[in-house]
Amino acid sequence: MHISDGVLPTAVALGCYAASAVICTWSVKRTRSEDLPKVAVLTAAFFIASLVHLPFGPTSVHLLIPGLVGALLGPSAFLAIALGLVLQCLLFQFGGLTALGANLLMMGLPALLAGLVFYYFKGQTRTRRIWVGALCGGGATIFSATLLALLLATGGEDFYGVAKLALVAHIPVVLIESGISAMVVSFLLKVKPEILDIPFVLKEK
Amino acid sequence: MTQALHLSGYWLLLLLFLPLAVYSGFRMLLGVMLKGEGGKERDWAVPQLEFEGGAFSTIHRWDVRFKLASFLILAFLVVSLKHPQTALAALLLAFVGYRAACIPWRRGFKRLLGMSGFLSMFLLMLPLTAVHQSGDLLLVFGQLDWLSFNMRGLDLAVLIILRATTVALLMEPLLATAPLPVTLAGLSRMGVPQRITELLLITHRYLYVFVHEARRMQIGMEVRGFLKATNFATLRTVGNFVGMLFVRSFERTERVHSAMLARGYQGHLPQPVDFQANKSDYFKSALCLGIGLLLLGCDYLLLAGV
Repeated sequence: MHISDGVLPTAVALGCYAASAVICTWSVKRTRSEDLPKVAVLTAAFFIASLVHLPFGPTSVHLLIPGLVGALLGPSAFLAIALGLVLQCLLFQFGGLTALGANLLMMGLPALLAGLVFYYFKGQTRTRRIWVGALCGGGATIFSATLLALLLATGGEDFYGVAKLALVAHIPVVLIESGISAMVVSFLLKVKPEILDIPFVLKEK
Repeated sequence: MTQALHLSGYWLLLLLFLPLAVYSGFRMLLGVMLKGEGGKERDWAVPQLEFEGGAFSTIHRWDVRFKLASFLILAFLVVSLKHPQTALAALLLAFVGYRAACIPWRRGFKRLLGMSGFLSMFLLMLPLTAVHQSGDLLLVFGQLDWLSFNMRGLDLAVLIILRATTVALLMEPLLATAPLPVTLAGLSRMGVPQRITELLLITHRYLYVFVHEARRMQIGMEVRGFLKATNFATLRTVGNFVGMLFVRSFERTERVHSAMLARGYQGHLPQPVDFQANKSDYFKSALCLGIGLLLLGCDYLLLAGV
């Protein structure tokens, strides 16, 4: 779920802009400059993957994949998500112009955390990597839903109900997201396992 | 002290129906507008940002840097409005601005559709969950004491929707009136690192490539009899689909990078645009910001109770 314009108090929106600009600068610095065009191309693929809808009972859920982006890109994930969200805002109005910073924090921080967890806990065996992948996918979604609820709650006590609803609405997303992350990790381990080995360390200058 | 107005339970059904009606109304409106375009909207079509309608309006002639700065500031001013009256005025002015840019309404409505799900949630939840403050008008339905419809919550939801709609309508005149490379070049002149704007350009370009690729894969899956359902097999198949998309894109990044190097890429793209501001640019920006500040001023006066 993306926060649209007019929901957040202006001070919160501006603060989120500032915070995400700082993290984004860090993310660009941690990416080798010759890798930047590659991150851009990958972002396009992630963007398309996030347009895939999966049926869940009577409704359908679209993929968020912050966990996978984090696991695959490490520190560059924040930059990738920034690019993706700007384009989603420009093309589809998913997430408002003034709420861009807030949306970026909401999706980018979980991706960074998932990348960190995947990097340090992925282990060696196939089963373990799949489980850690599922954990990253589901955990990142829970984290992002919590951030969304907290951001909504900055609007005042009136917004607590909406924040709770937003949390509850993410339950099916968490389930689908863990499942898909596990499946994607399992597929990548079979087909091109070296993708999953892009470590945090290699990205340093 | 809150005022309570007792109504029969049927009113509740009617009020809960409201967000649903707004949401499906939007869907239907879009369907009608797309019919004129010939056919149903594809599932995940990525829209074109710029609109080449042949029109060359005042907003098209506006220097991109001034346009970006004015619209960004205006957007922040609009979301700071605290009264439905001023927000409504802002919305009407946004319609005027939209009209001035000579862009088809269909594009703007598509943007509204993008946010309609999220905003419907506010319309549904805020009246039911807003905190009861003194002076609130509550609607209570028959025997359902625990559920009350707070009119202040409804006002708040309407205010949010007005603000969001205004900014969404501003987006089209902002983005569709200049080619994306020019808009991004303007953005980098305004202090956004050139690296970021270049990456945006590359990502935007490859979106269309991957949409194409994903659709080809999807057709292949459908030909082999794949149907989405809530089951494990779907999860696995879609997982493989997404994984395959990643593998192909990883391999493509290498080729793209080599191709860029072969064409002389040295870490930055050439900047094709030379911007020149004239008096009318300053005038338009001043007008734009003046309107925003005027609205905010009226808003403060309303707050003070004048």
